[in-house]
Amino acid sequence: MNMRDSGCRTCRFVLWSGLILLLLISIAAAIRFLPDRAVTYDDPVEHFKYGSTGGERNMGFPFWLFQVLPEVCPDLLPGKGYQSLGFIFEPGRDLPVGMSKRHHLGIDRVFLNCAVCHAATVRTSANAKPMLVVGMPANQLDLMRFQKFVQACVNDRRFTPSQVVPRIAEKAGGLSLLDRWVIYPLGIHLMRDGVAGLLGRMRFIHMQDEWGPGRVDTFNSAKAIFGTAFEQLPKEELIGVSDFPAIWNQAKKQGMQLHWDGNNSRVEERNLSAAFGTGATPKLIDHAAIARIEAWIGSAKPPAFERFYSIDRALAERGAPIYAQHCAACHGRNGSDFSGEYVGKVTPIAVIGTDRGRLDSYTAQLAQNQGMLYSADPERRFRHFRKTWGYANAPLDGLWLRAPYLHNGSVPSLWDLLQPTAQRPVKFYRGNEVYDPKRMGFVADQPNSEGRALFAFDTRIAGNGNAGHEGPGYGTDLAEADKRALLEYLKTF
Amino acid sequence: MWMLCRCPPWIRNSLLLGLVLIVMLALIGWDRLLHDHGPSEFGNPDDRFKYGSIGAEHDAGIPYWIFYVLPRVFPEKLPKPGIGYASFGMVWEEGRELPMGFTKRRIGFDRVGNNCATCHVASYRKQADETPTLVLTGPNHTLDLEAFFLFLIDCAKDPRFNADTLMTEIDLAANLDFIDRLIYRYLIIPLTRKKLLEREAQFAWIYRHDFPEWGRGRDDAMNLPKYFLINWPMDNTFGPTDFASIWNLKKYQAGTRLNFSGDTHDVYSVVIDSTLGVMGAEPKDKTEFQGHIDWLVNYLSNKPVPKYPFAIDVVAAARGKSVFTAHCAGCHASARTGTVMPLAEIGTDRGRMDTWGKQEAIAGNKAVSDLGIERKGLVEAPLTGYLVQFLDGIWLRAPYLHNGSVPTLADLLKPPAQRPQVFWRGYDVYDPQQIGFVTQGDEAERAGTRFDTRLRGNGNQGHDFGTVLSEADKSVLLAYLKTL
Repeated sequence: MNMRDSGCRTCRFVLWSGLILLLLISIAAAIRFLPDRAVTYDDPVEHFKYGSTGGERNMGFPFWLFQVLPEVCPDLLPGKGYQSLGFIFEPGRDLPVGMSKRHHLGIDRVFLNCAVCHAATVRTSANAKPMLVVGMPANQLDLMRFQKFVQACVNDRRFTPSQVVPRIAEKAGGLSLLDRWVIYPLGIHLMRDGVAGLLGRMRFIHMQDEWGPGRVDTFNSAKAIFGTAFEQLPKEELIGVSDFPAIWNQAKKQGMQLHWDGNNSRVEERNLSAAFGTGATPKLIDHAAIARIEAWIGSAKPPAFERFYSIDRALAERGAPIYAQHCAACHGRNGSDFSGEYVGKVTPIAVIGTDRGRLDSYTAQLAQNQGMLYSADPERRFRHFRKTWGYANAPLDGLWLRAPYLHNGSVPSLWDLLQPTAQRPVKFYRGNEVYDPKRMGFVADQPNSEGRALFAFDTRIAGNGNAGHEGPGYGTDLAEADKRALLEYLKTF
Repeated sequence: MWMLCRCPPWIRNSLLLGLVLIVMLALIGWDRLLHDHGPSEFGNPDDRFKYGSIGAEHDAGIPYWIFYVLPRVFPEKLPKPGIGYASFGMVWEEGRELPMGFTKRRIGFDRVGNNCATCHVASYRKQADETPTLVLTGPNHTLDLEAFFLFLIDCAKDPRFNADTLMTEIDLAANLDFIDRLIYRYLIIPLTRKKLLEREAQFAWIYRHDFPEWGRGRDDAMNLPKYFLINWPMDNTFGPTDFASIWNLKKYQAGTRLNFSGDTHDVYSVVIDSTLGVMGAEPKDKTEFQGHIDWLVNYLSNKPVPKYPFAIDVVAAARGKSVFTAHCAGCHASARTGTVMPLAEIGTDRGRMDTWGKQEAIAGNKAVSDLGIERKGLVEAPLTGYLVQFLDGIWLRAPYLHNGSVPTLADLLKPPAQRPQVFWRGYDVYDPQQIGFVTQGDEAERAGTRFDTRLRGNGNQGHDFGTVLSEADKSVLLAYLKTL
């Protein structure tokens, strides 16, 4: 009897402790793996720079893997760290502008947000400190090289747990056993899979010439959503690279034909479409976070030229009527009043005469398929994508910071844009932060900036053509003095 | 009963609980699998024609999210370089969720079906750089229907057509709740695969290597009911024809017949038979079906003929009218119009005529009347030739002849030996000189399918009428034909 009693007591003890242990482990696992929490910011500008769109849940790189990647594959980068790809690091920040962080699936994950393409640094003179301007095109960011770097590094023989995890342990100041042996080794495999899936779909970038900084092929990327077989597409569809746009004053642009070719007239569709680039699919997107960004860019203003440089008011006044006569109908009354008969409308390609690569990259078939996007959410389903046959006339707010010019950034400065094609630079350098207030554009004749090699932009490469926007009506045949006056007036925008 | 079963209360309570659970599960199952939310309502008749459900979602329908992701998962199976379903040449209005003729209806879960507009809407452009003009009830000359059928089956045959692969893609686009995800994973995906695979046997004849592709703008109109409605074994016939224009059907008066070989007695029967073909099964709701047929007959009878969109030389057209009266009106504007011309007289490709006959018609009529549907139906007599066409809107009905073997009206007025032997179908830019679509050149090749008149069913001989007219007469005749 006694023997049986004690045996039973032991087994009961074991049973109960086993159960309690299991419960504790489950609770610990739930605490570790269930939370889904983005790092948030109350200030709208900080939110724009570092806030989440929800996309990390899809494509997010584990924070520490992202951090050590440049150390794992330093030879695959043009210089040191992500800075060498044009990412901007503010002092005291471990993530660049345009990257957000979310705790998800038991790990901090990071991915791109809107600011990565719509924020840049500017130096108003060679000696000035870089100044971050949010909402302007990310002139230094080389997105193609970033994609290629990530793809190459995660497929590199060095991207293995045995080589990567110790680096993380060192950087993070030690890792738990779970992290060291399970989470990060698994994360490495998942990241390799994820990158293969995503960048496999975006493989068209390997069929293109180097984009250079400040540019992206938006609509071939959109085709990637549909799993498009790029190898079979006609070649002329694959030359769609163009400049990142500035996104200030968006509320005033509602109803205009947006995107370079004017293929959509609703800002919210433009924004949701762009948000795909941040990994924010219909299921994962954080609409409240997007709404905050929309509210901010709705009225965000570009910094005034005059805050940094002087304007010759008398000369600008002479330029005003020239602008009114030659430019206002298409580009708006001034830098803040966008009224004008043709503003936000498409000028046919035969008339505008600029490079048609970007236009041809957007096809009727893509527009048709985009009607299916967001069908999970009937309120937001895309209804306004249309194939067009030219380029849209954009308002000119913050014009001075929107260099280089034309949709493909093929003309370095406004001064050059006022010259006939034959006199525009055939080759120049992109990605310099230093501004040239005389020509109105970033310094484009220097191959280096502070030791960083700049990108040599060749206008003779397909898609980079600098022709068009030329002739009577476009100001290229104005007298020199008139051009000077017009340029001065444009500084007030 | 509870007293009879003298079980202890805990068993009784468990049974009760089990019963409640079963009822709840049954209700959820009905709601998520079978609950028909009915067709969407449309404010105007054209929208109803374009996107209105005819009930095809019940049996022929494809679950919405499977339909959504298939081109993304299997882009290599699309017929042409392109994006998604647009590469099949479906007519698709920009900003619309689905191509025209594709309907969405929730029967438990969202399903995609088809209606008449899939094959009966025409698209044309006056120049390459413009948005296409769409003409409802016109022949869809850009659609590669065979490729669409084969695509669905090929996807189902692919080992990647499994719940893991499809759910991964669906999760990127859809926002399904837990129950729907379970249902998709364990019921909808496997069942859809099974249903699509079952179609392969019925479609056996389109896999034959000795038959050419239908190509854009055509289907094998009578072999479809032969293998899908009356379920006959495969024979050796092949007769693809152009999708028909179905505007202005009121022109078919007593004494006329319909379909290229005059296979059918009246408009009402054609509409019923075609609709049944799209549905692929017996109508679930006879009243809804009958209501839709009546609506369609009325809509199609009164749909106006589209006007020629380019300028017409009225002087030439007036002179052409007398050429027409002398040489064409005897068949195309007379008591013969809408009746059958014997094959010996017309001399066109006999493939289509041979695909159907008296016994098939008897079986077809029986199959339909077995469904409890009354109609005059198919002509129970041997087929002897081809129907003499009404020429209303003839400009938009290119390519010409029943099998679409002659690209333009100008070509049709040439002796058969001088008609193009090989051309490309399915490009929608119009050629007002030749009267027809552009069928040669890089753009046409990129958009279209190659049509070889030497292949089976594709013969471009026959209808030698008018081929010996003088060039001047042909020219004014063409001008006149634009006015029809």
